[in-house]
Amino acid sequence: MTIDSNLMLNLYRDMWVIRSFETGLEREFKKGNVPGMLHTGLGQEAVQAAIARNLRHTDAFFPDHRCHGLLVLAGTPGEKIMAELFGRATGVCSGKGGSLHSADPAVGNFGDNAVEGSMMATALGVGLGFQMQGRDDLAAVVVGDGTSGRGEWHESLNLAATWKLPLLYCCVNNGYAISTAVGHSHATENLYEFAAAYKMPSVQVDGNDFVAAYEATCKAVESIRAGNGPYFVEYKTWRWQGIFSGEFRSPEEIRYWKEEHEPIKMARERITAEGIADETTLDGIKTEVDSEVEKWITFALESPPPNLSKATANVYVGWEVQA
Amino acid sequence: MKRMTMVAALNNALDIVLAEDEKVFLLGEDIGHMGGDFGVTRGLFDKYGSQRVRDTPLSEAAIIGTAVGAAMVGMRPVPEIMFADFLGTCYDQIVNNAAKMHYMFDGQFKSPIVIRTAAGGGFGGGPHHSQSVEGWFINVPGLVIVGPSTPYDAKGLLIASIENDNPVLFLEHKALYRLKGEVPTDKYTVPLRKATIAREGSDITVVASMKMTHEALAAAEELAAEGVSVEVVDLRTLRPWDQETVLESVAKTGRAIVANEAPKIGGLGAEVSATISEEVYASLKAPVRRVCALDTPIPFSVPLEKIILPDKDDIKTAIQVTMDY
Repeated sequence: MTIDSNLMLNLYRDMWVIRSFETGLEREFKKGNVPGMLHTGLGQEAVQAAIARNLRHTDAFFPDHRCHGLLVLAGTPGEKIMAELFGRATGVCSGKGGSLHSADPAVGNFGDNAVEGSMMATALGVGLGFQMQGRDDLAAVVVGDGTSGRGEWHESLNLAATWKLPLLYCCVNNGYAISTAVGHSHATENLYEFAAAYKMPSVQVDGNDFVAAYEATCKAVESIRAGNGPYFVEYKTWRWQGIFSGEFRSPEEIRYWKEEHEPIKMARERITAEGIADETTLDGIKTEVDSEVEKWITFALESPPPNLSKATANVYVGWEVQA
Repeated sequence: MKRMTMVAALNNALDIVLAEDEKVFLLGEDIGHMGGDFGVTRGLFDKYGSQRVRDTPLSEAAIIGTAVGAAMVGMRPVPEIMFADFLGTCYDQIVNNAAKMHYMFDGQFKSPIVIRTAAGGGFGGGPHHSQSVEGWFINVPGLVIVGPSTPYDAKGLLIASIENDNPVLFLEHKALYRLKGEVPTDKYTVPLRKATIAREGSDITVVASMKMTHEALAAAEELAAEGVSVEVVDLRTLRPWDQETVLESVAKTGRAIVANEAPKIGGLGAEVSATISEEVYASLKAPVRRVCALDTPIPFSVPLEKIILPDKDDIKTAIQVTMDY
């Protein structure tokens, strides 16, 4: 597998879409413009870019709670995702889903389930549906390391392997379930070892190396589309966001992941070292993306609040609920 | 018309929809070549194959999750959870996923699944094989709960549930599985959200469902000899339930009993009773009484179980107390 220079630049741009989206969102959250809770994908850009570039609109994917950028990269107009996060009428779910439930079936986005890990079970059904319908599409499920403690996580791996379902498990191991280190609460801190026990191909990849993440995902997708059943990719990465009460990780750890092993910095170094683009070109991409993201934020801020009739709409299919 | 058990009627319903609609498939524990714990899926594995009558491991959350996911891409799954008591292991998939999906994604997805499960006690099944679970699910918006009391309704309601676009929890009372009744062999449906008057009367209304409908009918028969005319309303759909039929009946009789096999506290009985009091208070000649299970788990030994679960005699007593009020 070779990754051409054009693809590298596209991945770089994708990563910056995530970085810029989340940075802008965090700024607006602090201003009080974004209701509820906020979980950002900052630091995990290479993983999401790799996933997005390997899926097609007829596939299905279940994002996790840090996937705002992935939702945009999947093809939904950025302003519709941003507006949903702001709880506005123009949002992709009319303001009813928010950050944790921004689905868009038109691009294969099947929505997050904020009982994280529950979509491990749901994805089975999508994969089974595709299999029974004779489609060569796949179902991807993005889950964090923390969900590997859940029963559904293991039920899913077992059944996907047993039924040879077209499932791509994207396990984003950022080291912590809120504040609890993976190795502290699981039998292993290398989660692909769990998947290996369920008799499916499983790999661990540096999730901050955009080329490695892309290539591992691409290989997995090719295997699944060839009819070989499920595939598990564990991306080792790190999230920038701390916990609600602040930072809990050591200064040394933070320095390593935010400076030395920072995914966008690493991508820039590789792209410039290989002579694919210079710093000015890469800065130009950033500026262009930043300006686009600001337009999405403006759109969200200027959008009307949700239509109040939506509060009781679509509880049941075809039946009204009394207001 | 053919005289058949509720098990046969349910089997016939599944056979009809499997033959008619390729999108329908069944999944659950031992439903395939064994034909299910109670024989509801017997013969369907041989007829439709292992893909559409699919045996699963003991992974209830995955069973329901699989059903929901398949429904999201256009299939019509009918998962079976062997005993209603086991629904606790997949509660999240039902409550947070199946029932909320249409709402939280504002109509972009739907979850037309029918979860069949064997409910109810009275046979010495013990604490984990005897429960009536409607109370666990009664305050879950977006969910439909169905519970038939006759073979005829079982077949018609099951087909209607599978054809409906909402997630349905389909409760099959174990004590009724061997009950026989006249059932048309052709396809028909019984409407959801529509109660039926199982017996007409003028003095008092008993609102019941599933096995309690039969207990209420037996009580009504005995009390008729004593000159009390009891009307029995069989809810059939427990959520959203048919307020119109219930309230009309109570407005007519002026008295109401709500009979439900689940524990009294916070259950369907409380909901129906409260609604009657709110909506037709002026018609009431006596307070609405609930006849439900005692507030305990269900013990194994049958004499103990009999104390806990409500029956014909409890309904009779409640009717007499209400008539004497």
